[in-house]
Amino acid sequence: MAIITCASMWGQNSIKVTGTVVFAEDNEPLIGASVTPVGTSHGVTTDLDGKFSINIAANIKQLTISYVGMATQQVDVSTSPMLIKMHSQGTELSEVVVTALGMKRDRKALGYAVQDLNAEDLNTDGTTSLASAMQGKVTGVDIRPSSGAPGASSQIVIRGARSFTGNNAPLYVVDGMPVESSPDFSTGASVTDANIADRSIDINPEDIESINVLKGQAASALYGIRASNGVIVITTKRGKLNATKPTVTLSTNISGEVVSRKFERQTIYAQGNSVAAYSPTTSMSWGPKIVDLPNDATYGGNSQGHAGMYYNSKRAAAGLDGWTTPEIYDNVGDFFQTGVTENTNLGIAQRTDRANYSFGISNSYQKGIIPSTGMNRWGVRGLVDWNISPEWKTGFSSNYSSTKITSAPGANSGIMNVVYSAPAEYDLKGIPFNAPNQPTKQILFRATNFNNPYWWAKNNEYGQHTDRFFGNSYVEYSPNIGEDYSLTFREQAGLDSYTSNYTTIKEIGSGDEANGSIENYGMQRRVFNNLLTATFNAHWGDFDFDAMLGNEVNNDNQRIWDYYGRNLNFYGMPTIGNATTFISSEYNRSERNVGFFGSMGLSWRSMLFLSVTGRNDYVSTMPRNNRSFFYPSVSTGFVFTEIPAVRQAMPWMSFGKLRASYAQVGQAGNYYKNYYYTPSYGSGFYSYTPVSYPLAGVSTFAPYYVYYDPKLRPQNTENFELGLDLNFLNNRVRFEYTLAYQNITDQIFPVPTAGSMGYTEMLTNAGQMRTWSNEASLNLGIIRHRDYEVDLGVNFTAVDNRVVSLAPGVESIMLGGFVEPQVRAQAGNTYPNIYGVAFKRTADGQLLLSNGLPQGTSDSQDLGNASPDFVTGFNLNGRYKRLAVSSTWSYQHGGKMYHGTNMVLNYFGVTKESIPYHEGTMVAEGIDEATGQPNTVEVSRQDYYQSYYDVTEAGIYDTSFLKLRDLTLTYTLPKFADMELSIFGFARNVYIWSKLPNFDPESSQGNNNMGGYFERFSVPNTSSYGGGLKATF
Amino acid sequence: MLKKFIYTACMALALVSCTEDIMDEINRDESNPPAEAVPSKFMVTDAITSTAFATWGGSYAWYAGVYTEQYFGTGNNQFMKAEMRQRTETASSTTYNNEWNSTYANLNNIKQMIEKCSEGGIDVGAYDLRGMAEVLWVLNFEALTDLHGDIPYSEAMNVAVSQPKLDSQENIYKDLLAKTDDAIADLTKAKDAKLKNAGAQDILFGGNLDQWLGLAHAVKARLLLNTSFRNPAALAQVVTEGEAALAAGFNGAELTVFNGVSADNPWTAFNWSRQYLGASKTVVDYMDTRKDPRLDLYAVPFYGGPAYAAPGDDELATSTTTVGYPVWLDNGAASVHLLGLSELHFIIAEAKSRQGQDAKENFEAAVKASFDDIAAACEEPDLASTADDYIASIANVDLTEIMVQKYISMTRGQTIQTYNDIRRCRAFGEEHIKLQNPNNTSAGVNQWPYRFAYGNSDVISNPNVAKAFGSGNDAGNYIFTEPVWIFGGSR
Repeated sequence: MAIITCASMWGQNSIKVTGTVVFAEDNEPLIGASVTPVGTSHGVTTDLDGKFSINIAANIKQLTISYVGMATQQVDVSTSPMLIKMHSQGTELSEVVVTALGMKRDRKALGYAVQDLNAEDLNTDGTTSLASAMQGKVTGVDIRPSSGAPGASSQIVIRGARSFTGNNAPLYVVDGMPVESSPDFSTGASVTDANIADRSIDINPEDIESINVLKGQAASALYGIRASNGVIVITTKRGKLNATKPTVTLSTNISGEVVSRKFERQTIYAQGNSVAAYSPTTSMSWGPKIVDLPNDATYGGNSQGHAGMYYNSKRAAAGLDGWTTPEIYDNVGDFFQTGVTENTNLGIAQRTDRANYSFGISNSYQKGIIPSTGMNRWGVRGLVDWNISPEWKTGFSSNYSSTKITSAPGANSGIMNVVYSAPAEYDLKGIPFNAPNQPTKQILFRATNFNNPYWWAKNNEYGQHTDRFFGNSYVEYSPNIGEDYSLTFREQAGLDSYTSNYTTIKEIGSGDEANGSIENYGMQRRVFNNLLTATFNAHWGDFDFDAMLGNEVNNDNQRIWDYYGRNLNFYGMPTIGNATTFISSEYNRSERNVGFFGSMGLSWRSMLFLSVTGRNDYVSTMPRNNRSFFYPSVSTGFVFTEIPAVRQAMPWMSFGKLRASYAQVGQAGNYYKNYYYTPSYGSGFYSYTPVSYPLAGVSTFAPYYVYYDPKLRPQNTENFELGLDLNFLNNRVRFEYTLAYQNITDQIFPVPTAGSMGYTEMLTNAGQMRTWSNEASLNLGIIRHRDYEVDLGVNFTAVDNRVVSLAPGVESIMLGGFVEPQVRAQAGNTYPNIYGVAFKRTADGQLLLSNGLPQGTSDSQDLGNASPDFVTGFNLNGRYKRLAVSSTWSYQHGGKMYHGTNMVLNYFGVTKESIPYHEGTMVAEGIDEATGQPNTVEVSRQDYYQSYYDVTEAGIYDTSFLKLRDLTLTYTLPKFADMELSIFGFARNVYIWSKLPNFDPESSQGNNNMGGYFERFSVPNTSSYGGGLKATF
Repeated sequence: MLKKFIYTACMALALVSCTEDIMDEINRDESNPPAEAVPSKFMVTDAITSTAFATWGGSYAWYAGVYTEQYFGTGNNQFMKAEMRQRTETASSTTYNNEWNSTYANLNNIKQMIEKCSEGGIDVGAYDLRGMAEVLWVLNFEALTDLHGDIPYSEAMNVAVSQPKLDSQENIYKDLLAKTDDAIADLTKAKDAKLKNAGAQDILFGGNLDQWLGLAHAVKARLLLNTSFRNPAALAQVVTEGEAALAAGFNGAELTVFNGVSADNPWTAFNWSRQYLGASKTVVDYMDTRKDPRLDLYAVPFYGGPAYAAPGDDELATSTTTVGYPVWLDNGAASVHLLGLSELHFIIAEAKSRQGQDAKENFEAAVKASFDDIAAACEEPDLASTADDYIASIANVDLTEIMVQKYISMTRGQTIQTYNDIRRCRAFGEEHIKLQNPNNTSAGVNQWPYRFAYGNSDVISNPNVAKAFGSGNDAGNYIFTEPVWIFGGSR
C-alpha cells in the first residue's frame, strides 16, 4: 500500500528509498557500502554518515547491500528510512542446516553434531582434491592423504573405523543423491605398483557451495546401511542472490610444486659394502670416502695412470669414459621437476523468484614433481531448480567429469629408493639410463631389479582414466493444506555412471618384468538411485511437528575386466597386440538395496526438540533370510538459553544448548554362496605370474580360499552422543563440544583362519570395536572492526578407536604390508597398529645382543599404535580493509608409522645420521645373550648400524607433526564497471615440523585402511606456491 | 510402533523389488561355479599343479636347499638371512607361511575330491580319480609332517573346527601309509575296470594308471625309508615297494607342463624374479673331487662374478646379482619332480645298503637317471652320454657314496628330500654330507634348523599351534633343539 501511495505521490513509476548502513558490532556507520536495487546494475554508495538515498523503479522489491569483508545481504525495500546492519563474513552462521535426505532443519533444533563448511572455508587453491581442501577444518574427521602426487588417494574416516578390513569411508551425497567415492580398486597389501585414486577425485572442490558433515549415526541413520560411516552432504554452487541478470564468475589459479621435505643424503662416503673398498655395483653407500676413491686398490686411478680419477664400470657400460674424477651430484634435486597445478572455473548462475540455474565448466591440470606424472580433469555441470507454481517444483542437477591421471609406483616397484640411495658420486641424471643403442638394457649403479627412475619415466606408465556422469532430477508437489500445515511429495531419480580404464605398462627391460608386460583393466559401473518421500509439517501453538515417510531403491551394476599380456615381441610397442602370453578375466556384480524409512520431529517453543527416525533396509549381498535390518535413532536438543531466567542471569551467553542422541546402524557384508575358482600362481617371491590356467590346454577349479558363512548376519554400530553448544558475547565466541561413543559388534570381516582349515579366510561375524570420540571447537572473533578483524578457529579431535576382540583364537589381522612388517588390527590395541620384528630385549628392556650386535625377535610383535592421540586444526584469519589473510594449521600428536625409506636408507649408509658409523669399532650397550652379562664384544660401527636398522622396530617413527597447510593472501579490488575482482596468492604445506626425520609424514602406501601408516619408497608430498584471480560480473 | 508402521508401509507398497528370490538372483555369482557343481576331474589338475609347483617346488624347497648347502642364499634379503642362519628368517613363522597355507588349501581341494568320488558324491565310482587324490593327499601331508613334525591332521580342513589340534607325527605316518594302500587298491580297481575319467585333466600322467600305481608304491617306499630310524624292519619293505614301483613301469613323477614362455617352473621363476640362489661350494667340492661332468652346468659365472660361493660368505650373501648359479635355473621349461626315477633308485640303494645287500645296480641306475634329468633340464643332451664313464670311475659304492651321489643328484630341485636324508642320517648318528657353513653353529649354539617353523596363519589363529611354536624371545627356538619324531625327536 505504502509503495503504491509513494508512486502516485511522485507521479511516476519510481520511489525514493533512504537508509543507513551500520556495522552490527558497534552500530557505527559504514562508509562506501554499495546499495544496488535487485534487477539493475546501477547502485549508490553510502556517504560519510553511512547514509544512502536512491530512486528505484516501483516494481523493485529488494536491495542488495555489500561491503568488503561483510556478508552481502538482500533486504526488502521499505519506504520508511531503513537501517541495515552488516555482519562480518566470518561470523555468519547459516541458521538452516541440510540434514539427512535433504531435510532442512533449524540448526538449533539438532540433537547431534553437524559441521558445515562453505565455499570460502575450503582451501581449494593449488589442489585438485576435495580431501586436501577440507584438511584441518573439521572435528572428528581424520583425513590422511597418501602423497602430494596428482590424483593421490586420501583416506577420510569419521570418528574412527567401524570395520576392521571393510570400507570405513563416509557416504558422499551430492545434490541429494549418493555418489560413489571409494577407489575402483583397492591397492590391497599396497607393496607393489602405484596408488589408485579414490572416486572423490571426480568432484571438483571449486563446484562446491557447502559441505555438511553428518558425523554421528543419529545424524545419518536415515541413509541406512550405507551411512554407518557418516555422510558428507555436498551442495553444488547455484545462484545465491535474487538478480535479474546472470552472474558470471571466472576464477583461475596456478601454482608451482616442490617436494615438501627434500631428502638430504650424506655426501662423504661412496658406494661400497665397507669402508675398505669401493664397489660400483652394490646398492649401499658404506664405501670409502669419496675423496679417497682415486686411491682405491681396484678402481682407483692413482696407481693405474689416471691420477685423481677412479673407474666406474657403469659409466663404461653406458658408453662414457669409465675413468672419472670424484664429484658430488644432487641426485634427489636433479630428479624432481617443479610441478604445476592449474585450476580454472567458469560459471554462470542466476536466481529469480521462479528459477535458479547454474552452469559451470572447469579444468584442473597438474604436472607432478616426478617426471611423466600428472593429471588432467575436465568438468561440466548444470543445475536448475524451477518453481512451476506454488504447488509444483522440478529441477535437475548433472555433473560430467573426465579425469586422467598418470602416477608413479612405490614399495617393491618403487623408484624413489633408487633416487634417494643413488651414491653421491654417481651422476644418476648424467649417465645414460640404457646401454648405447640398447634401450631395454638399463644402466644403473645397482642391480636393476629396481628400475632406473629415468628409464622408468621414459618407458613405463601407470595410467588411470575415468569418464563419469552423475546427476538426478526431481519433481515436488506441495498441495496447499492450510496455513499451519504443509505437505510435500518428492520423487527423485538419479544415476551415477562411470567407466574407468587403467593401464600398467612395463616395457621390455623393466626391473620386475624383464620380458615386458601390459595390463589393461577397468570397471564400468552404473548406480541407479530412486528416492520417494512425503514430508508433513505442522504448527500448533507452541509446538512444531514434522514427519517424513520414504522409500529408496539403490541398484548397482558393475563390470570389471582385466587383460594382462606379457612377453612382448619387441621394444617400443607396449600393447596387448605385441604380447605373446595372455591372461584375461571378466567379472560382473549386481547389488540392490531397498530401504523404507520414516522420521518424526517435535519441537516446543524453540527450546525443546525431539527427533525419532527409523529405517529398514533389504540388501542383496547378504544370505537368504538375513537380508533385512532395522535401524532406529532418537535425538533431543534443549536450548536452555530460551528459559527467560537463564537469559536474564547470563545475558552474556547468547546461545546454549545441550544435545543427546542414540542410534543404531548396521553394515552388510559381501556374501556369496561358496564357490570354486581357477587359481593362479603369482604371489610371494614371484614378480610375475609364472603359471596360470589354461595350462597344457586344460583349465581347472579348486575351492575358493575364502569360506562364506551361510549364517552371516549384519554388523551393528550402536552410538551414543552428548554435546554442548555455547555462544557468548553476541556469538563472537562459539564453543562446541561433543562426546561420542560407538560400540560396533558382530563385525563382518574375512577372519584369517588357521591355514590348516584349508581356507585362508572365513567371512563371518566376529569381534568388537569401540570408539570414544572427543571433539571440541572454539571460534573466536578476536577483533571486530569495520576495517580490520581477526578470527581464530580451533578444532580438537581425540579418537580412541579400540579393537576389543577379533575372532576366537585370532589376536590380529592384516590390513596391508609385506610378509613383515604389516599394518594390522590387534585385539586390545587402538586401530590400526604396526606389527613386525622387534628388538630382542631383556625383561627390563635392554637390547639382547648376539656377538655384540642387536637382533630381532623370530616373530612379529606389536610395534605401536598408528592412530594419533589427538589432532588439532587452527584457522587464523585476518582482514585489513580490502586485504585478507587466512591460514590453516594442523597439529597431530602421537601416532606411529612404519617408515621403510628411512630404515632402508640407514641400513644402506645413505643418511646423514649414518655418518658416525662408517668407520671404527664400538662396544654396544646391552646384554650379551650367550653370557647374560653386559656386552663386551667389540664390533665394527657399520655392523652395529646395519644390524640395528635391519630390525623393523628401528623403522617405527612417531608421526607428531605441525604443518602450515595453507596461507592465502587476498586483495579485493574496488568494484569497477560492475565487476568484482579479487587477486590472491597462496602457499600450501610450506612449514613442516615433524618428529619423523628426513621426510614428510604425510606420504605413504595404500588407498585403503592401512593408508597413512606404512611408508616404503612412497611418492613424496609437496609444497606449493601460487596465485590467482577471481572475477565476478 | 515406528517399526510396525514402516513394515505396514512396506507391505502396503507391495514392492516386489526386494523379495528373497529376486535378491538371490541379484546376488548370484555368474563368474564362479558353486562348490557342489564342479566335477572332480576338473579338480585333479590343480591338485597336481599345486603339489608340484607350490609344495614340492616352492619356497619350502628353496629354503631347504640353503640349509642343505645345495644352494647359496644371496641377494641381500631373505635368502641372505637364511644363508647367515639369522633366526629372524629361519625361525620365523612368516617364512614358511605361503607354502603352509597353499598346501593345506590344496589338501582341502583333494579332500573334497575324495568326498565327491565316494558314497554320496557326484562322482561316486570314479576310483581312478579317488586313487589319484589319495596319492596326492599323501604327497602333500608327507611334505608338511616331514618339515613341521606334529601338525593338524585329523581335524584339519574342516570348517566346523577353527582351531584344529596337533596330531602326532607317529599317527600321521600310520595314516599316510594306510592311505597309500587305499590308493593302490583304488587304482588297481580302476585299472581293472579300465576307467578313463581323468583324461587330459591329469597333467601328470595323462590318465596312465600304471604310472599312478608306480607312484603310489614309490611314495610308500619313501615314507617307509623315512621311518627306518624308528622302525628298522621297514627297510625290507622299502625294497619291496620300490621294486613294485619299477615293476609297474614307473618312470618318475615329473610335472612337465612348463615351456619357459607362458608357464615357467617355480625354481626358474624364482630365479628370474629375485636371483636369490647361487651355486654352493659344498656341492662344488663333492663334484670337483669326483671330476663330475655335471659341475660345468652347476656353477656357471654370472656377470663376471664368482661361479659359486662358500657357504656363509657374508660379502657374497649381501651382494646382488653376483654369484653364479646352475644352468637349469635359467630354463623355464625344466620339469619339477614329485618323485624322480633317480630318487627311487637311490631309495632302494640306501635300503639295500643298510641291510648289507648289494646296492650297485640301483646306485648306477640312480646316477644314470640323474644325468638324464640334468641333461634334459639344462638342454645339454651331450651330458647324458658321459654318465657311463663317470659311473665306471666310482670304485666304492658304500652308504656314504650313495648319500653323496644322491646329494649331488637331488640338487636339481629335490632339496626337501635331501634335507630329510641329512636329518635321517643324523638320527642314525651318521654324517655322510659334511656341511661347511660356519653359521651352522654360533658361539657353540646350534643354528641349523632341525625342522621348519609352523606357518604364521596357524601361529596367530590356532592356539594349539601357537603353544607348540612358543612366544616372546623363545618363539620358534624349538626348531634348533628338537628334531621331528621320525628323525629322533619327540614331536
